[in-house]
Amino acid sequence: MSLGTQPTQSGMPCARCGAPSSDGPPEQTIAKQPPLCSSCRQLVAAWPYPQWLKLALVSLLLLLAFALVHGKKYFQAGRELYLGERLVEKGRYAEALPHLKETLKIAPRSDKAALLTAKAGLMSGDVQSAAAALQGHDGGKFENSGKQTFKEVSALWDRANRALTEAEKAAKLELQDGKAAQAAQLMHHAASTYPEMPGLMFAAEYYDGGAAFERKDYDTFLSIAEKQWKEQANANTAAYVASALACKYAITGKLAFRQRSEAMLQKAFELAHGEPEAVKGLDEFVDRNKYRLDSREIISKTEYDRRFRSGKPAGN
Amino acid sequence: MFFIPGPVIAALTFPGVIVHEAGHLFFCRFFKLQVYQVCFFRFGTPAGYVVHQKTDNFTALFFVSMGPFFANTLLCVLFCTAAFLPVWELKVNDPLAYFFYWLGLSIGMHAFPSTTDLSNLWEQAPRLAKQGNPLAILSVPLAAVLVVLNYGRVIWADLGYGIAVGVLGPIAIFRALVR
Repeated sequence: MSLGTQPTQSGMPCARCGAPSSDGPPEQTIAKQPPLCSSCRQLVAAWPYPQWLKLALVSLLLLLAFALVHGKKYFQAGRELYLGERLVEKGRYAEALPHLKETLKIAPRSDKAALLTAKAGLMSGDVQSAAAALQGHDGGKFENSGKQTFKEVSALWDRANRALTEAEKAAKLELQDGKAAQAAQLMHHAASTYPEMPGLMFAAEYYDGGAAFERKDYDTFLSIAEKQWKEQANANTAAYVASALACKYAITGKLAFRQRSEAMLQKAFELAHGEPEAVKGLDEFVDRNKYRLDSREIISKTEYDRRFRSGKPAGN
Repeated sequence: MFFIPGPVIAALTFPGVIVHEAGHLFFCRFFKLQVYQVCFFRFGTPAGYVVHQKTDNFTALFFVSMGPFFANTLLCVLFCTAAFLPVWELKVNDPLAYFFYWLGLSIGMHAFPSTTDLSNLWEQAPRLAKQGNPLAILSVPLAAVLVVLNYGRVIWADLGYGIAVGVLGPIAIFRALVR
């Protein structure tokens, strides 16, 4: 800072730079301001912004602009997080899930996002999404496991896993002859343990059909199969109806049942188009159904495998 | 509560000191007040200052005293808004975000007007508030709170203010934006 040393007009030395006085009129006294030399007077009237300050402030503004642009992806992720959180608070879990999944793409380590995704997944029966969110978060470890959300998700997770373990056991039982009623009972228990997953109740109804088949109550079998077909029209339910209709034909000999069974099987193949797993399942079933229709003898899959597939299930 | 010498804190948060003093200077120039001395940053107490002409113009006095408080607060909110989500909510390890958060907090920490600024304001505010001057009416409670907070600096009230502004500000902004 260079102030120069011109004399003041007040007769006193400059209050800023100490320059010696001149004998001019005491103007500064009238203005109740300290006596200043002309250089200092100019300086104090409009103190210049230092060059470095101007550059620093411009840099700060540029930095702010960059910070906001850089944060764009985080704003997007944050927006999805808040939208998801709001939907979870309203109990609209299935709607919240896609928003929260978007957040996790940017921030898989976010406790809040992972727990909310897990909660939304578990509450809407999407255990797979919940598992992905939890495992993607540091292998399921959370900083603050004492938080209410963590406890809530943990309890939900345990309940869902208990139900899925039961469902798995039920699925194994269902494959064994004479255990269909037990399998159905276990699946119903799983469905009531974890009612958020509608698939379990659907499976329980399916197993009810299997139990009806086992006790030779083909009317109930058919009504359950038709109900399932109405609820979810797909290759599996179509084949299920075809199976029940074949049973009815085997018992009654009414050609209409046979024709409907064949039509439903045809429908099942149409619906399975492009789904290799479904086609494979139908390929296995088609021979058994044909045997039931041709022979009018109703035998279980195990018995069919024993007789015609050397005891091994088709495809194995 | 642990003690860290003021100059160390000022050094760690120097952008806030510079922005604060630049704010004083800006408003002095805006209201055509004479400026006798300026220090944007130094290792001492105070870490920065602007010595300026006294004035009877309360509007000028208000903005010169409180301007840096508003400017620092605003910049703190903006920088922290850019960094809040990755640092607090999303837990993303982004060094740039941490840098912006440091910058925002540094600026926010130095928002408080000094006791000298506040006493200048306090000299005139109560009398003018009685006369219905809106800025004076605003100044009275604001200055009272800020005086208390200023004394609270020994227990990190300035850092607390920075964090509060840097967290609550962005939360309020995001909550308002996401509808």
